[in-house]
Amino acid sequence: MGIQVKNLVKEFDNKKVIDDISFSVNDGEILAIVGFSGSGKSTVLKLISGLLTQDSGEIITTGDIAMVFQYSALFDSLNVFDNISFALVERKDLRKKYTQTDLERVVKEKLELVGLSGIEDKFPSELSGGMQKRVSFARAIVTEPQIILYDEPTAGLDPISSTLIEDYIVRLKKETNAASIVVTHQMSTIKRTADKVIMLYNGKIVFAGTPEELQREETPYTKQFVNASLDGPMKMFAE
Amino acid sequence: MERFYFKNTFSYKILLVLQEYLTVFLTTLGQIVIMMGRVFKRIIKLDVDIKELIYQCARFGVSSLPITLSIVGMSSIIVATQVAGEMIKQGGGNYVGMFVSLLLVREEAVIMSGFAIIYMIGSSLASEIATMKVTDQINAMRVLKVDPIRYLFVPRILSGIIMMPLVVIVATLFGIIGGAVSSNLSSGLSYRAFFDSVWFGLYVRDMYISIFKAAVFGFVIALISCTAGYYASGGAKGVGDATTKAVVWSFIAIVFIDMIFAIAFFF
Ligand SMILES: Nc1ncnc2c1ncn2[C@@H]1O[C@H](COP(=O)(O)OP(=O)(O)OP(=O)(O)O)[C@@H](O)[C@H]1O
Ligand SMILES: [Mg+2]
Repeated sequence: MGIQVKNLVKEFDNKKVIDDISFSVNDGEILAIVGFSGSGKSTVLKLISGLLTQDSGEIITTGDIAMVFQYSALFDSLNVFDNISFALVERKDLRKKYTQTDLERVVKEKLELVGLSGIEDKFPSELSGGMQKRVSFARAIVTEPQIILYDEPTAGLDPISSTLIEDYIVRLKKETNAASIVVTHQMSTIKRTADKVIMLYNGKIVFAGTPEELQREETPYTKQFVNASLDGPMKMFAE
Repeated sequence: MERFYFKNTFSYKILLVLQEYLTVFLTTLGQIVIMMGRVFKRIIKLDVDIKELIYQCARFGVSSLPITLSIVGMSSIIVATQVAGEMIKQGGGNYVGMFVSLLLVREEAVIMSGFAIIYMIGSSLASEIATMKVTDQINAMRVLKVDPIRYLFVPRILSGIIMMPLVVIVATLFGIIGGAVSSNLSSGLSYRAFFDSVWFGLYVRDMYISIFKAAVFGFVIALISCTAGYYASGGAKGVGDATTKAVVWSFIAIVFIDMIFAIAFFF
């Protein structure tokens, strides 16, 4: 089932930040959302995850939704173990269902999945940015979500760490068969992870297709994006 | 033309500034009231995270006691030292203990503890919650389907209601002892005379009011500080602004509430 978005509209201060967009993501599929700063990419993820409510339109999702935030958003007063097990310990419908042994097993399993074993006792501030991001992956997937949303997962990371993160995004998709959305600015992330791409500009979808089609630069929008050009239909400071 | 002219006047500009202040004031007040409603809804349903509550109570006590005791103790010494000699000279030596303890119980211990707790607890609650807000930790909690009001706010606000009276009781005792010792050392007033007049002058009612007032202060400081943190936005500056707001609002709020208490109970 995955994610289905129909005629989504969201306004802030009477300005349509998301202006009637529709798309869908199937299970086991990764959609990349690209677009300039302020084009509404994070807003789309917040609407799907329920952090914001749309003004009109429909969002149909199945199962738990996980979200990975741009700056990891790990709970800095809790260690890695408590961060990852947080939802299992504190969520109303899951509370007290897991014994300490269960929790230890689940946390170990999720940490292994993101290639980090034996760091349960460390605090977020003791980890590098890339490790924090992977811990936040582990925390996000602890409830076996069927939808995973990533907001700029590779921003601010060196190219090799980015590649590692991209590999884990693909790996998590294979492990969970979740429908995933990756918001990104990086061509490398699109190429390595995405099955399809949409480009947002002024709240509208100005391109939808595969990563290959994006790279073919057949429209003024894709041409401008791929070449990171100032000339083209998209104006950075359009007001 | 006349309207245009009016907009250039100094009075109009002052009105504009006042309007802005009023808007900020009413918005903040609204946020506090809404947060209070959300918190009480969970408290009434007994939907409380006990583990977090115990942790927050311990944290409240440990981080507030040293400074509260020092401040209340010192203010009591300041008052007793200056007043004891004078009262003895005027033949009022038997009333020093009563004066000091009445002052402490009715006013000084609670308000001084209130100030100390704003600085120690209020500012740290506000900056902690604000940091969680601006770094998306609260959003992350929401997406994990854990209620931030229940997990973060209820334990912190309840800990204020529970712990502040305890802290004030200990601080009051500490202040009375400080007053006794300093009157003895500075003016040779006997401990016997001091404590006899304490028993004589203190009413149980005063103590109840003091404890009740302390609970209200603890509640208000925690509520305002958490709310200021929750509505923070915009990175490190937002955290700083929220902390300042928490301190200023708590400060004004407890002095205001103290005045209401004075009028309600002693007018
Ligand atoms: N809570 C809000 N209140 C008012 N305006 C908002 C709010 N959240 C976002 N906006 C506005 O909506 C627009 C889209 O924001 P959004 O964060 O979705 O952009 P983005 O594409 O994720 O940008 P970036 O690449 O910089 O992260 C921006 O103009 C922003 O100012
Ligand atoms: Mg964004």
